[in-house]
Amino acid sequence: MHATLKKRLGKYALLATLVVSYLFLYLPILHIGLGSFAKNHTFPYPPRWTLDTFGRLFGNSLYQTAFFNSLLLGIGAAALATLLAAAATLGLMRHAGQRAGLYLTLFIAPLFVAEVLVGIASLIFNGLVLELQGNLVSAILANAVHGFSYALLIIATQLYRYDWRLDDAAMVFGASPSRTFFEVTLPLIWPGLLGAFIVTFIMAFNNLEISFYLLGATPTLPSVAWGALRYGVKPELYALATAVNLVVVLGLGLMFVLMLTGRASFGHRPERERAV
Amino acid sequence: MRRRWAAALLLGVPTVFLLALFVVPLLSMVVLSFWRTENYHIVQEWNVGNYVTLATGGAYVTFLIRSLVMAGVVSLVSILIAWPVSYAIILYGGRYRLLLTLAFAVPFLTGEVLRVIALQGLLGPLGLINAVLMALGSAPLRFIMYTNVASAIGLVYLYLPIVVTVIYLSLLNFDARLIDAAKIFGASPLRAFVEVTWPLNLFGTLIGFALCFIPCLSATLAPRFLGGPNGTLYGMAMAQQFGESGTWALGAAMGVVLFLTSIVAVLLVGMRVNLRRTGFTGLGRG
Repeated sequence: MHATLKKRLGKYALLATLVVSYLFLYLPILHIGLGSFAKNHTFPYPPRWTLDTFGRLFGNSLYQTAFFNSLLLGIGAAALATLLAAAATLGLMRHAGQRAGLYLTLFIAPLFVAEVLVGIASLIFNGLVLELQGNLVSAILANAVHGFSYALLIIATQLYRYDWRLDDAAMVFGASPSRTFFEVTLPLIWPGLLGAFIVTFIMAFNNLEISFYLLGATPTLPSVAWGALRYGVKPELYALATAVNLVVVLGLGLMFVLMLTGRASFGHRPERERAV
Repeated sequence: MRRRWAAALLLGVPTVFLLALFVVPLLSMVVLSFWRTENYHIVQEWNVGNYVTLATGGAYVTFLIRSLVMAGVVSLVSILIAWPVSYAIILYGGRYRLLLTLAFAVPFLTGEVLRVIALQGLLGPLGLINAVLMALGSAPLRFIMYTNVASAIGLVYLYLPIVVTVIYLSLLNFDARLIDAAKIFGASPLRAFVEVTWPLNLFGTLIGFALCFIPCLSATLAPRFLGGPNGTLYGMAMAQQFGESGTWALGAAMGVVLFLTSIVAVLLVGMRVNLRRTGFTGLGRG
C-alpha cells in the first residue's frame, strides 16, 4: 500500500513537471497570439477581436519583401544542407572506413560553434578575403553550414537502421549504382531527407544570428523584426510571430499525420517502442 | 575504381564545403584578431593589443565571468527541468510520445527574435505576469523586468527545447530492461536510477549540456532585450564591435575567446566521461 502510494506520487510529480514546462513554453506564445487578434493587445483578457494587425502586416511592403527574402534564404539553405548532409551520411556509412571518426568530427563541429560566431567569422572572411558586400548568397551558404549538421543528424537516425544488403541485392541483379540509388535507396530514405529539409528550412527562415552579419541591406523577416523590436514591441510583431508559429505548427503537424498514417517514419522506429 | 569515385564525391564535397565555409572563416577570424582597427579601417599589423585590452579592460573580464556563470546556471537548470520532462514523456507518453516531443521542438524552430518578442510579452513591464499581478491589485515584480534574472529565464526558455530533445533521444535508445534487471536483483528505484539509468544516459545529458551551454555563452539577443543595464554579456558586447563601434579586430579577438572558452568548457566536462560506460553506442555503422 505504502509502495503504491509512493509510486503514484512519483508519477504525479513527473506529470506535473511536464505540464508546467508546457505552460512555460506555450503561455508566452498563446499570450501574444491572443494579443495579435485583439484591439487591446497588451492585455487581451477578455480580447476585443480584430484582424487589423494582420491586415497591416500583410499590407506592409517591407514585410512582403522580407518574407520573400526569408523564403529564398530558407529554401536555398535547406536544399543545400539536405543534399550535402545526405551525401555525407551515405559516405560516412559506406565509404569512410577507418577515418569515419575524423569525418564525423568535422561534420558535426558546426553544432558546437555558436551561431553568432559562424556569422561573424563569415562576415570577416567575406569582408577581408573576398571583399564582398553583404548579400543573400553568403547568408544562404553560412546558414547551410549550420543546417548541415542538423540535417546530418536527422538523416543519420533514418539511415542507422537501413539494410545495405538491399543495395547489394539490387546490384547482384544487375542494377547500376545510380539505378540502385534511385530505385532502392531513395524511396526508403526520403522521409529522413524531407524531415531534414523541413527542419533546416524553418531554422534558416527564422535565423537572425548568422544571417544578420551577412545580409547587408537585404531585409528578411527576422532582421525586420529585430529592427522593430529595438524601437519597442509593436502589435505587428505579435502578429508576425503568431503567423510564423502557426506555419511551423502546421509543418510539424503534417509530419506527425504522415507518421500516424504510416506513410513516413522520419527516423522514428516503431520496433523500438518498448525502450523504457 | 567506381567505388573510390563515389567515396571521393560523397565525402569530399561536404568536406570541401565545410572547410571553405566553416573552417577557413574561423581561421580568418583568428588572423583578424591579431590585427587592429583604426577609425573603422583594418590595419594589417601583427599585434596582441586586442587580447591585452580584453584581459586588462575590467568590463570585458566582468562580461566574460558573467557570461560563464549565466551559461552554467542556465544549462544546469535546463537539464534539471529536462530530465523529469523527458522521463515523463517516455514513461507516460504512449503512442503520443513523438507528438509530445515535437511540441517541445515547435518553439525552438520559430526563431530567436520571435521568441524574444514572446518573452517580452510574458516578462516585460506590460507583460502577462505583471499585468495579471496589477489586475489583482498587487505590485509588479521588479526582478523580472530588465534584469539578469529575466535574461536567465529567457535563455532557459530559448534552449530548454533542445536539451529536452537530446535527453529524450538518449532515454529512447536506453534499454529499460536494465532497470527491471536491477530491481529484480533487489535495487531500490533510487539506486537503480543512480547506478543504472543516470550513468547510462550521461553521454546524452552532456551533449544536451554542451548544446545549451555554447549558445548561451555567446547569447546576443536575450540579454539585449531582456537584461537590464547590468545585463551585458560577452556575446552581446562582441556583436556591438561589429555594429555600432566598428572595431572588428577587437570583436574578432572576443570571438576567439568565446570559441576557446566553449571548447575548454566542453572538454573539461567531456574528459570526466568514459565513453564506453555512458551509453555511447558508436557511430552507427553496420
